[in-house]
Amino acid sequence: MLIIGERLSVISKVVREAMEKRDAEPIKRIAIEQWKAGAHMIEANIGPAEDIGDEIMEWMVRTIQEAVPLPVSLDTTNPLAMEAGLKVHNNEFGKPLINSTSFDPERFIFLELAAKYNAPVIALTVGKGGLPRDAEERVEIALKLLEKAQEYGISLEDIYLDPLVLQIATSQSQAMEVVKAVRLFRELNDPPMKTIVGLSNLSNGCPKHLRPILNKHFLTLLMYEGLSAAIVNPEEVRETIKTVNVLTGKTLYAHSYLEI
Amino acid sequence: MKFSIIKESYTGSVPEITFGKNRKVSFGGEKSLPFLFFEGEHPHKPLISFEVQDSPPQDYPKELAKVYSSVWDDPVRWAKLCESFGAEAIALRLMSIHPDTTDAKAEDVADKLKKFLNEIDLPLIILGCNHTEKDAEVLPIVSDVARGFNCIIGKAQEGNYKTIAASAMAGGHSLIAMSELDVNLAKQLNILITQMGFPANKLIIDPMCSALGYGFEYTYSVMERIRIAGLIQGDPMLSSPMVADVGFYVWKTKETQAEDENSQWGSLHERGIIWEAVTACSFLLSGAELLIMRHPEAVNLVKYFIEDLISTKEK
Amino acid sequence: MALTGIEIFKLLPKTNCKKCGFPTCLAFAMKVAQGQAKIEDCPEASEEIKSKLRDAATPPIIEVQFGTDSMKLKIGGQNVLFRHEKKFLNPTVLALEVADDDSEIETRIDEVLNSSIERVGETLRIEAIYLKNRSADISKYRDALERILKKAPQIPLILGVSSSDIAIDSLSILKGHRPILHGATAENIEEMAKVAAKFNVPLVVSAKGVEAVIPLTEKAKALGVGDLIINAEPKSIGELLRDNTFIARGALKKQIRSVGYPIITFAWGKDDFYETIVSTVGILKYSSILVLKRTLPWKNLALFTIRQNIYSDPQVPMQVKQGIYRVGEPDDKSPFIVTTNFALTYFLVKGEIENSKIPVWLGIMDCDGLSVLTAWAAGKFSASKIAQFVKESGIEEKLNHRELIIPGYVAMLKASIEDKLSGWKVVIGTKEASGIPAFLRNYVRSKNDR
Repeated sequence: MLIIGERLSVISKVVREAMEKRDAEPIKRIAIEQWKAGAHMIEANIGPAEDIGDEIMEWMVRTIQEAVPLPVSLDTTNPLAMEAGLKVHNNEFGKPLINSTSFDPERFIFLELAAKYNAPVIALTVGKGGLPRDAEERVEIALKLLEKAQEYGISLEDIYLDPLVLQIATSQSQAMEVVKAVRLFRELNDPPMKTIVGLSNLSNGCPKHLRPILNKHFLTLLMYEGLSAAIVNPEEVRETIKTVNVLTGKTLYAHSYLEI
Repeated sequence: MKFSIIKESYTGSVPEITFGKNRKVSFGGEKSLPFLFFEGEHPHKPLISFEVQDSPPQDYPKELAKVYSSVWDDPVRWAKLCESFGAEAIALRLMSIHPDTTDAKAEDVADKLKKFLNEIDLPLIILGCNHTEKDAEVLPIVSDVARGFNCIIGKAQEGNYKTIAASAMAGGHSLIAMSELDVNLAKQLNILITQMGFPANKLIIDPMCSALGYGFEYTYSVMERIRIAGLIQGDPMLSSPMVADVGFYVWKTKETQAEDENSQWGSLHERGIIWEAVTACSFLLSGAELLIMRHPEAVNLVKYFIEDLISTKEK
Repeated sequence: MALTGIEIFKLLPKTNCKKCGFPTCLAFAMKVAQGQAKIEDCPEASEEIKSKLRDAATPPIIEVQFGTDSMKLKIGGQNVLFRHEKKFLNPTVLALEVADDDSEIETRIDEVLNSSIERVGETLRIEAIYLKNRSADISKYRDALERILKKAPQIPLILGVSSSDIAIDSLSILKGHRPILHGATAENIEEMAKVAAKFNVPLVVSAKGVEAVIPLTEKAKALGVGDLIINAEPKSIGELLRDNTFIARGALKKQIRSVGYPIITFAWGKDDFYETIVSTVGILKYSSILVLKRTLPWKNLALFTIRQNIYSDPQVPMQVKQGIYRVGEPDDKSPFIVTTNFALTYFLVKGEIENSKIPVWLGIMDCDGLSVLTAWAAGKFSASKIAQFVKESGIEEKLNHRELIIPGYVAMLKASIEDKLSGWKVVIGTKEASGIPAFLRNYVRSKNDR
């Protein structure tokens, strides 16, 4: 499973301030920590970043790739920032990931960018006008998104379907709808479609000590359904991923399986 | 084909709450969803309490003023008028303590309450003014004054439950725990309060009321979810009886205040009464056992509704 | 109601053989559900699967259509018992009972035609007329029907007749109408079912209690009437609640086909108050048509509102219309607050402003019903969108100041909004609604001091 380190996010105060001051040290430190904890890719979430998003994204991608030999997942709703990031991304470490498009015409521009830069893209299964109600609706939107993506000439292997994890504290029943959606998304193509989640939104708003517990157990359910990628705090889910891989026979068991 | 009645199976039940000193009343105790007598016991009818305020209300619209303005400068006379309307319980709301009204001190309210308790022997619900800090200051003193009167104290919220629950427990009262239209928060608050040692069978959930047309469906659905969780899933932290503070929300709405001239809406008098009655009956159907209401004619309608429902029980 | 893609998928062989031209069975099933592919394109679907598909395509409570070309009404089709599970489909139709020997039929029709009220952007009304054959006289009924058609040619009708002769007589003159036929009982079920089948109209079967209704729906179905409606003739609110619960549970939890039909309820009551309460129970608890004895503006308003509330979608956050709302009586000096159009946000913020007793201009922005932080993260409550909203809202003409209060959660947007909205100062409000009264008092005080 592809592990994308989530910690470089505008939501975090440290990161936000570092971004504002262009202070590379904290960014590099967090990127390295995630790399060491097993991340295959580093997320750069700069938020809506309306004004100088392009400058910030460019700086983020460069700073991250100076610190770690990994590709970057670019998370912004600002297309200019996205393109700026794609331009400077060092593809020697792997392709960048576009986070994200959805079935909202305003976001189709990201499909265009995915095609132009030959980059994989996350497709959030939400439409215009609110959150999806259940797995069914997510699959309907996914199908429409896949058609849309093909119009732009994007191959299905380059799409990561994201069912949108919602907060357990406010939308409890959605947790199992997301699990079901991951199962169904895979069925949409042969070979199975790739799936991805932003895991920690599950526990957003929950007490701090509960968050890792909720996230880890949820990831277990999702991995069982064949999840292909997750945007996570790598340190937090390291044990879970290794253990599930042992339990499902994907890695061979040894007493010291957690240590390698 | 023979139709066999499809009964729900229940694993929980709602605790019964009795309050009052000399005159006592009970509500709750049922073992099935509201009024489905064919699949579970319902030992008590829902209870309607009349709202009385401890100082002349500043926001009672015309239709309520017509009923209460002659007595509302004296809570005792006000409560006696309600009694003459057939009140089985009184909900005394201490609006005078609100910092935005007269910001009355706890001691002043305590004196008022002592007098009230001497004169009125109907079972009593004592409500703060919904100002988190001020309620936390006044309700403990009030609980102490009413010690031995076996009242219901309210409302404890996330921000002030500790002091209020502790004092209600010391005073031997039942307690209303209010959360804001969220089944998860309602459960959480009940957990926190019972963790303090407060007896679960003396807790009443207020999932936050609303009026027809103004968030009504949120309250309705949260109540249904709480009842289903408590009775069908057997969640003990969500099996408490529920209160719907109907009058407070209903008589703020435009529909209970706009004059008749708006011919599209018809007569204000009937409109106000039906707004309160429809809201109240709906929340009884979604799971409330205790109502706090204002207009006597609306109360009569709801009582008639309850009797009409109960008439099926005997068959 | 058609099957959903997932439901079709469950019945397919799941071999992903690709012979249908789609990569997987699910992709194919989704297309079938959308009507863009045919189940016959699946070479592996057996006759059994196809018949299962047809059977499964019948929802547990069938959907019935009636009315006229310009006023089509749909009832039934519900698939949940409780509103929080999924949106209740097809709001209860409200009809007015009119008797054929009523000398003031026209007045009654006017009551229906003039019943419409606007509420939260929707026009709500009494949708149909139930014409009752109180006279038991065929010519009186015919006459009353013609008077209705003359005054309200497009009004959806429910024909309450006592014999199949009157039914045939009425149905023969109704062109462009698909009325509901009411009047089938244990005594006349065969004749009435034949009439309904011949004219292809929905039929109400009436009997006291659910058990007595079942043989009637079965018989009518055997005689070729698929669109049935149940009247279990409750005589008290307790019976109404019980009967409707039995019917809805039977259909939805046990898939009992013989009760899988919409319910019609005739409201009653010692007065208009109580008739409103009875109707409330019908609307809350599974009645698909509610026939009222009398309409009155206040009664209509209450019933329209409860129907609108209860048939709202619990999963789409309820949204408030974008615009500038007055809380209290604000003037050109009053504070101006902006937030998102999530209904709960709106209700809480408005309530707290009211508590503060300070009049305020409340700007509600369309953010797809998301709360403040979520809307911001989704780019819908951004600096440029807020600036655009303020410019286009017309608020500038209402104010003699240029101060905008934003929710504390989006404090970071302050500078950027000020950039885009020249001449405006952005003030950071509270994160939670509960802090609003204290905030507003301080804000107004410090403003006055300046």
